[in-house]
Amino acid sequence: MSHSSSATHAQQAEIFCRDESRVDWHSKALWLMREKRDRAAGSIPEWEQLRQLGSEIKLHTLTNLADLLQQFEANCQANGIQVHWARDGKEHNQIVHEILARHQVKKLVKSKSMLTEECHMNPYLEERGIEVIDTDLGERIIQLAGQPPSHIVVPAIHMKKEEVGDLFHEKIGTEAGASDPTYLTRAARQHLREQFLSADAAMTGVNMAVADKGAVVVCTNEGNADMGVNLPAVQLHSMGIDKIVPNLDSAAVLLRMLARNATGQPVTTYSSMYRGPKAGGEMHVIIVDNGRTAMLQDKILAESLKCIRCGGCLNTCPVYRRSGGHSYSYTIPGPIGIAVGGSKDDTNSIPWACTLCASCSGVCPTKVPLDKIIHHHRRLKAEAGQLPYGKANYMPLVGKLMGSQTAFNCSMSMARGALKILPGSLLKPFAGAWGKYRELPVAPKSSFEHWYKNNRSE
Amino acid sequence: MKIALFIPCLVNQLMPDVAVATLELLEKLGHEVIFPKGQTCCGQPMTNSGCYNEARNTTMKLLNSFKGVECDAIVCPAASCLVAAKENFHEFDDSPEAEAVIAKLYELTEFLHDVAPIPAFSKAFPHRISLQMSCHGVRMLGLASGSEFMGKPFNKVEAILAKIPGIEIRYPERKDECCGFGGTFAMDEGAVSAKMGKDKAWFHANTGAEYVVGYDPSCMMHLDGMIRRQQLPVQTRHVAQIINAAL
Ligand code: SF4
Repeated sequence: MSHSSSATHAQQAEIFCRDESRVDWHSKALWLMREKRDRAAGSIPEWEQLRQLGSEIKLHTLTNLADLLQQFEANCQANGIQVHWARDGKEHNQIVHEILARHQVKKLVKSKSMLTEECHMNPYLEERGIEVIDTDLGERIIQLAGQPPSHIVVPAIHMKKEEVGDLFHEKIGTEAGASDPTYLTRAARQHLREQFLSADAAMTGVNMAVADKGAVVVCTNEGNADMGVNLPAVQLHSMGIDKIVPNLDSAAVLLRMLARNATGQPVTTYSSMYRGPKAGGEMHVIIVDNGRTAMLQDKILAESLKCIRCGGCLNTCPVYRRSGGHSYSYTIPGPIGIAVGGSKDDTNSIPWACTLCASCSGVCPTKVPLDKIIHHHRRLKAEAGQLPYGKANYMPLVGKLMGSQTAFNCSMSMARGALKILPGSLLKPFAGAWGKYRELPVAPKSSFEHWYKNNRSE
Repeated sequence: MKIALFIPCLVNQLMPDVAVATLELLEKLGHEVIFPKGQTCCGQPMTNSGCYNEARNTTMKLLNSFKGVECDAIVCPAASCLVAAKENFHEFDDSPEAEAVIAKLYELTEFLHDVAPIPAFSKAFPHRISLQMSCHGVRMLGLASGSEFMGKPFNKVEAILAKIPGIEIRYPERKDECCGFGGTFAMDEGAVSAKMGKDKAWFHANTGAEYVVGYDPSCMMHLDGMIRRQQLPVQTRHVAQIINAAL
């Protein structure tokens, strides 16, 4: 289940697919979330208008990003919040460490932040003697298991309850063999409560940063963000520059869709707005770029910054459901992971982990054109000479063959003949992977062109 | 109407029966049908892989075979190829001649629903079918509303077929989930593609239908290969074959 930077998505997926009953279980668990989403979205008559509004709000925001960010900063400062700017993950980690070191923090409780995963913050702080405790149940599970998240909303979705039971037995001393979810959740809550009480600082991600209020909105189902933030004196919130919304009205539009599209809930159990430090405390907001500005330069890639991280596109993705979150080279898996991580993919394969079925784009609450973005990544990779799966070799040949009608038809009719006798025919589509999993097409007697000549031509 | 057939390479070479059915049904409906020479691949295998330079020649060759052809509509019995042809023609040629071709392009069921509806079917088709709602037809061409969409639902393919006497239309579980073909995806991501195809084949078979019916020949070829490998008691047919049998 570990990331291997050199293995392609296809190789990782092939390993995942070897256990078919597990694939079925994984695919079904996520499809269930998609069905819950359909019911929740379908219960709102104006759902499609909301999506349009959500898309326009995010486009407006991205168009006026610099102004809104400055407005946000000024309003935060007016509220007593300290604002920091980080060019990349490294700068983000340095800023966080500096704040924590200044307060002699030994233990940091953290909640809901894919951004800190993106920045690889945990190992950075741990190397410097600061213990980081993830406090969302799912995140704590994978942290104890030493694994990266496999989903952006339900990060431990790839683990069965028995596996969680074994892990908890080993790490937090639950009874051997116990796998009852209620028992395990209760044990985890007890374990986390001790962490909350002994932490010196708390950190959360940000769902929305409200520019005209100078405040951040954080959504959780377990209340752990609030528990963390409200206890210690120092609180930190990390956000990508794309998290900005102009005002509370815009935030409300996105909030109506976020949980419905994620898990089918009308709203997350806790949607908290933090707008200043507690008495005697400090509140820090760290605003991170880490490649987002570069993405904004490309008109097609830019739209991936409209994402509000609901995870809906993962749940519907037929490839994600059958290959698992760990088969993608990037921290964020699934369609949105390909969209925002495609340029950083050194396996040059994740843009091809997709059939371009476009279900993701149809599910997305802010209309991120995911299939177009993924297709665009393929083009960028091709232009950069980074094609996977032997495409650089065979595509020019296919292009030439098909461009020359005679050569093409000639080889196709040979292939038609070959289909009857050799499985590994000349025709690329019918070689290798095709015949391994499927029966070959039944070869017809002649082409349509030939039939037409005999039956219709004057 | 005068109709020019656009027969994608895969249909021409491997599923000529689909092309014949398309031609026959259009003739039965009283149209004059021609088949312009020189057609080849629309370039989809290359452009879908990001290889635009490699696609240019073949795309242009296909486009040129339609330029200047006198007709009212160009009709294609393959949704995915039609979408790719439209996009690729735009990509490589913005001349008025190219625009004239693009404006006449229709997928077969789109044509039969929007442009020249079938007045009546003369024969019954007393069979249960399971409809294969392939992705590009649904989500790019708008043949039906996708299951993700929460507005007013519609389905042009069902609307046409439902008028055939005796036909019984069903849908597989996860109605319009991708079948896993995806062009070169079927080779690049063999394991996932096969699992998607296997699931889809079973969902279709579970409806108890005699035929899986679709409008996208490449998906149907993939499904057919899966169905036969799984030895499921159901066969694949193209919509053109069903419509032609009922006219
Ligand atoms: S791209 Fe859209 S569907 Fe996917 S996580 Fe982001 S907001 Fe949700």
